[in-house]
Amino acid sequence: MERLITKLTEKHVLFTASFVIRLALVAYGDYQDKTMVVKYTDIDYHVFTDAARFITEGQSPYNRSTYRYTPLLAWLLTPNIYLNMVFGKILFIVCDVLSGLLIYKILLLKGLGTEAALRVCALWLLNPLPIGVSSRGNAESILAALVLGTLLCMEARHLMWGAILYGLSVHMKIYPVTYALPIALSLRTTETRSEDNKGMKSLMRFIRSFLNRELFLFASVAAGVFCMLTALFYYMYGWEFFHETYLYHLTRRDIRHNFSPYFYMLYLTADSGWSQWLGLAAFLPQLILLLVASWAFHSDLSFCCFLHTSIFVSFNKVCTSQYFLWYLCLLPLVIPHLSLSLKQGVGLLILWFAGQGLWLGPAYFLEFEGYNTFLWIWLAGLLFLIINSFILIQIVSHYKPTQTPQRLKVE
Amino acid sequence: MYFVLVSVLACLASCHCFIERDEKNENHCGLLQHWIESSLVSMEIIKRGFHREVETTVELSPDVHSGVRVLLLHRWPRGVYVDPYQLASLSDLSDWKIILDSTIDLEGPAHKTTGFVTFVYPTPDGPTPTLLKVTIPIHGRYHEPSFVAETFTSVEIEPPELLLWTEKCMPLNNVEPHDVMEAPCTHHNSSSCQWVKQQHQQKERGPVNVQFPVGDGSLCGPVCGGTLLVTMLCCVALSKHMWEHRII
Repeated sequence: MERLITKLTEKHVLFTASFVIRLALVAYGDYQDKTMVVKYTDIDYHVFTDAARFITEGQSPYNRSTYRYTPLLAWLLTPNIYLNMVFGKILFIVCDVLSGLLIYKILLLKGLGTEAALRVCALWLLNPLPIGVSSRGNAESILAALVLGTLLCMEARHLMWGAILYGLSVHMKIYPVTYALPIALSLRTTETRSEDNKGMKSLMRFIRSFLNRELFLFASVAAGVFCMLTALFYYMYGWEFFHETYLYHLTRRDIRHNFSPYFYMLYLTADSGWSQWLGLAAFLPQLILLLVASWAFHSDLSFCCFLHTSIFVSFNKVCTSQYFLWYLCLLPLVIPHLSLSLKQGVGLLILWFAGQGLWLGPAYFLEFEGYNTFLWIWLAGLLFLIINSFILIQIVSHYKPTQTPQRLKVE
Repeated sequence: MYFVLVSVLACLASCHCFIERDEKNENHCGLLQHWIESSLVSMEIIKRGFHREVETTVELSPDVHSGVRVLLLHRWPRGVYVDPYQLASLSDLSDWKIILDSTIDLEGPAHKTTGFVTFVYPTPDGPTPTLLKVTIPIHGRYHEPSFVAETFTSVEIEPPELLLWTEKCMPLNNVEPHDVMEAPCTHHNSSSCQWVKQQHQQKERGPVNVQFPVGDGSLCGPVCGGTLLVTMLCCVALSKHMWEHRII
């Protein structure tokens, strides 16, 4: 068994095998789509392809209903129309394997040995969840690659490239914008502790610490990339681009059942006067947690980004299983520093799946059997939030950073 | 004199032709009337939950000519919708073709959308068999929560209207008591034709009621309170642990 694991985690074998598995599933998916009623390919892939088709006809990709992504994605997928419809899936699986490679490089930079790094990588590369998601035609792997690329550049102190990749990832999906605070905190000038802790002077020193060349460079390049892309697509597609790519996601209130603990509350109050206030109340825990996480862990950017994304997804007003990949791609960066035993780790994993299972049961009965299970879905959503919070607390409590900054003793 | 005789004969011949054509026309229109009266339309809704299938069966008169076109007109309530993209992919695999009269909002709740009409052509090309079966997938919309402790809401789906057309009965006349209606000639929607619409009494069954679950509005207070309490507690617990284990 040990020999098998060692063989599998040799660099070339691992990366080749993970690509071949994904490719085989893409081929199988094509076969299933042609022969069976239940399709392998995700509906999103058809949305992307239809939008790409509109672009090849010189029209706006937003002519395709429910296309709520950047036009860049539809442009990237135009070979789906010109060459073969499978092009997009190949692109996604390549990005998926590339994400694995980026995880490997980041782990090496953080001081992990080659063999250990490859074993951790295998958790992503041979994981059925990302394999399934990218071979079915979801574009999450592009964003995973961009976010991991940003983190690699930050770790290697290639700030300009990091800024470019960061600007690009925020353009593609809004959620990486939350990383701005920990990145800014990590790039500010760290000063020696002064004894002069008077309120005003301390505050001024704090503000001044943000005014340095590195932070300025990062902010201007990232903002420049983002604004340039936004301006270009606004010029090409107008207000519809801005609304579908950004505003829709910022104001999204999906009252249909989803993993979010807020779903039933938002459904019952959708047309009431309280709706806006409740939306704001739902935003507060997310905001508080993101601020605390940024301040507490900004010196370890990978861990901080992982926490940010998990918090963002778990406390969001809408949560679908696609969102889980946003933080799962960062989990391999955290795992080597966890002092949890294998048993504890597997226990938490089973708990996480159990939480999903407890939600999926009543959701199935509602959607496909027509039972009124709204109350059960609501309770399962709350339980899933509790489980996610518990898992995050365990991760935070058992995280051992490798850097020299001291860990504050538990008070 | 001969000239007069020839012109009278020519006149008589053309009058005879017109009368014959009119007679044939009346014959075909009469047949059309007979076919529409003897056709039966029945509808069944299968599957459960928010994703159903509407199965429409049309039994035409056995003596229906091959040149007759059939159109099924569904008037859908706002509580359900069809997915145009799903229909497009299904249409590639089946005989029937469909046109929608408006853009469909795939995500809106029932009280914020309107009903719509679909034109289904069971056999757009080729001869018309006497027994037609069309299955259309429909999806239920979310409805407003109920504040009177009702756990389900009812959506009434009417069976489709049957319309027939034949080029041999043009223009349509003498098809009383049936109505004449303008509708697209084919699924290409490039021209409009006059179709004979079957009277309501000839449908085998009346409308079908479909039940969809709705939220319980009377639980609004406890649900909001419970949700905000749990999320705040999780927020406090997680913040506390993150602060305790912060890395300086």
